[in-house]
Amino acid sequence: MTERSARRGIPPFVRYVGVRLGLTVLLMFGVTLVTFTLTNLVPADPVQAALGEQAAADPEIVAKFRAEQGLDQPLPVQYVTYLGNVLQGDLGTSTQTRQPVATELADAFPATIELAVAAIVFSAFIGVGLGLWAAMKHRKFTDQVIRVISLIGLSWPTFWLALVVYYIFFFVLGIFPGSGRLDPAVIPPPHITGLYTVDSLLAGQWGTFWDAVNHLVMPASVLALYTIGLLTRFARSAVLEVLDMDYVKAAKAKGLPPRTVTFGYVLRAALVPIITVLGLAFGSLLSGTVLVEKVYSWHGIGEYSFAAATRLDLPAIMGVGLVVGFVYIGLNFLVDLLYGAIDPRVRVS
Amino acid sequence: MKLSWKSTIPVIGLVTAAGLALSGCAGGAANGGGAAEGGKTLVVDASFDLKTADPNRQYETTGQIVAKALYQTLLTFDGDDVTTPIDGLASYEMNADSTVMTLTMKDDAVFSDGSPVTVDDAVFSLQRLQGVKGNPSFLLDGVTVAKVDDKTLTLTSEAPKPELPFILPNGALAVVNQEVVEANGGTTDEKDGAEAFLNGESAGSGPYVLESFDAAKQVVFTANPEYKGEKPAYERVVLRNVEGPTQKLNVEKGESQLALDLNPDQVAELSSANVNILSSASQYMIFLLLNQNPEVNAFTSNPDFLEAVKLGVDYDKIVDLAGEGAARPGGPIPSIFVGALDAADGNQRDVKAAEAALKASGYNGEEITLNFPNDITVQGLSFNSIAESVQAQLKEVGINVTLAPAPVATELDAYRGGTETIGLWYWGPDFPHPSNYLVFAPGQLVGLRAGWPAEADAKSVELANAAQAASDADRVAAFEAWQKQQNETGPFIPLLQPAQNVVTAKSISSVSTNPVWTVDLASIK
Repeated sequence: MTERSARRGIPPFVRYVGVRLGLTVLLMFGVTLVTFTLTNLVPADPVQAALGEQAAADPEIVAKFRAEQGLDQPLPVQYVTYLGNVLQGDLGTSTQTRQPVATELADAFPATIELAVAAIVFSAFIGVGLGLWAAMKHRKFTDQVIRVISLIGLSWPTFWLALVVYYIFFFVLGIFPGSGRLDPAVIPPPHITGLYTVDSLLAGQWGTFWDAVNHLVMPASVLALYTIGLLTRFARSAVLEVLDMDYVKAAKAKGLPPRTVTFGYVLRAALVPIITVLGLAFGSLLSGTVLVEKVYSWHGIGEYSFAAATRLDLPAIMGVGLVVGFVYIGLNFLVDLLYGAIDPRVRVS
Repeated sequence: MKLSWKSTIPVIGLVTAAGLALSGCAGGAANGGGAAEGGKTLVVDASFDLKTADPNRQYETTGQIVAKALYQTLLTFDGDDVTTPIDGLASYEMNADSTVMTLTMKDDAVFSDGSPVTVDDAVFSLQRLQGVKGNPSFLLDGVTVAKVDDKTLTLTSEAPKPELPFILPNGALAVVNQEVVEANGGTTDEKDGAEAFLNGESAGSGPYVLESFDAAKQVVFTANPEYKGEKPAYERVVLRNVEGPTQKLNVEKGESQLALDLNPDQVAELSSANVNILSSASQYMIFLLLNQNPEVNAFTSNPDFLEAVKLGVDYDKIVDLAGEGAARPGGPIPSIFVGALDAADGNQRDVKAAEAALKASGYNGEEITLNFPNDITVQGLSFNSIAESVQAQLKEVGINVTLAPAPVATELDAYRGGTETIGLWYWGPDFPHPSNYLVFAPGQLVGLRAGWPAEADAKSVELANAAQAASDADRVAAFEAWQKQQNETGPFIPLLQPAQNVVTAKSISSVSTNPVWTVDLASIK
């Protein structure tokens, strides 16, 4: 505990969390400002994008649309109004569907969370495991093979891979079911979290659960392949750095079992950079992967944001910007906390 | 026994692989395969442009499919024939000058809640369409809807509206249950608040009711037990939002029974042993426009240059590019509509004449920009390939074209603002009547986008007015004459109608398609 916080009686950790939360608010404000500015810099009229041919030529309909969307106000007024609404949980109304953006995002996000969590869990185990194995077998044949595998994972275009996997495992082999999150004949479970796997478990619907898992395997695997490639390389590099450390050599010299040395000393010390990459990768997955979501008809935040961008649905674009910004900032914060949990030196400092 | 890390990792890997394999087997058992066998659930894949399930607000291709399944209209079409409107919920009569249409309600229709469909519901629905000021509201511009008695209503307009019987089958003019809609915030003005309700529950008399609606994911329909028409073959229909490449694999595998949005290349790869392919000319007309405003471009507004372009395009090659089922219209009106001009009566390629016209224009090889949207497709056909083809063909006659693709969201402004030099766009008809294409006349909606004011071509204006006012007997000839004039002096070059491809599983024996609502889900057997 520092002297200043000792004097004020505030635990350092609480102070740290408080400062980070304050910064988060400032960052989110910055995200809204940047997103608003950029979307309004696009040289296109959202009215033209939203209205049909004849409707766009009717001044009465155009005026009504502009008034409804607040587009008849000066830009600073629009921004302040938007900010005020956001603070009340109102992210505006989609110019395309006329539904609340917050509702649409709440609908789309669980699909992406489900996919992202599955992909990151899969890739964390495989990627870190392969990276560790490659480092332990440094410069041997195993190391070379694993490095090639990771390079392939990083190089293959995701869209192409998604289609190839779908073709092979669904169309040719028939091992996994087709697109979507559930079979068309299966009724979705009662909505609790929006994650079909979790909701079906909570409702005790085992058939639905297995169907949801089945549909999750292919898209999650495709997404995981890139992250596995990334994690393998980072894990290998981090572990190689630690393997040369004196304390690792001392642990081996003391006769500690290899498993204890590997997991208790080497991997633990290498975890900090690995967690950083994991956090970034997870953030990227949570921001939505348009191509995979489109191929597998996995209607998540990626597809939603693509549709919003191409249709110039400004409230939806702003909403996505907020969500993605919040995801990255939140994950960044979580990663920082994890640093402290893993590395005592961070806690002390 | 102590496990070393050497044995732990392979064990973890084996367990994971076994788990995945197990989930594959278990999941397969859980699926049941009901949809694939063409049982009670029909699965239809489409690329959604869906925004709402409210029929009086929807004006998208997918929205029309939904509205057709859930609601009925006062008039309709028989199958894919859009040349003659037939009775729906009502029969009709039109007065001699097409200013008063009288509709007489039939007795047999009931809503999904069992209440009868009345003239009050019809009047309310049409007035709601007008009052909410949504995308399709213009369809009844200038029309007064009034109840005459318990079975009759009139649609009155000051100007002749011979197209009215062709407008009424549109799903946007669907008849909704007035009592239910009003109870849930529905009105006939801009204060209407029933859309959210109608996105959750339908209030129609159609063959299906709405089980669930998600504009981004899927729409699920359940058979309406109160429906008085022919019962649909499928109790449940799932209309899913799926991308083209995935649609192809799904329908071939039997995961879905219909795929509505395969492009020509994807269709060409299909084997007729696995699927049925229905290809026909669609209602969309893809065209070039050359800006007639000299301030935009001195060459495109030059009559000789315009002539050179018309003679330089290889129309047959463009149609071939679009694949099986595509057609070439002779004028702006698509071949499947009344009043269409035969392709032989349209402009034809003549390289030598094109070169001569080009020389007369004073053109010296300057770069001419061709603007087009590069992120939309029409019936799966990309504008990129058409633009590249046009560029190559015009190069052969000596015209240097620079392609300027842009996202539709940004290019739309330039198109509608009339600032494009050469534009490549398409027109989707608002209703299947030739008068919808008078927007291409000078001084009209699309004419102005090509910088073509009314005073620029008095003859074309005169013929357009004559076509609009023509009687039923004279209409076809009048529209043909107008189109021939357009081909001669107008800044538009109709290129093609892309094919509409509907691919079905072998288990499907019949499906009814239509340019207005694409496919009638209830007719699928």
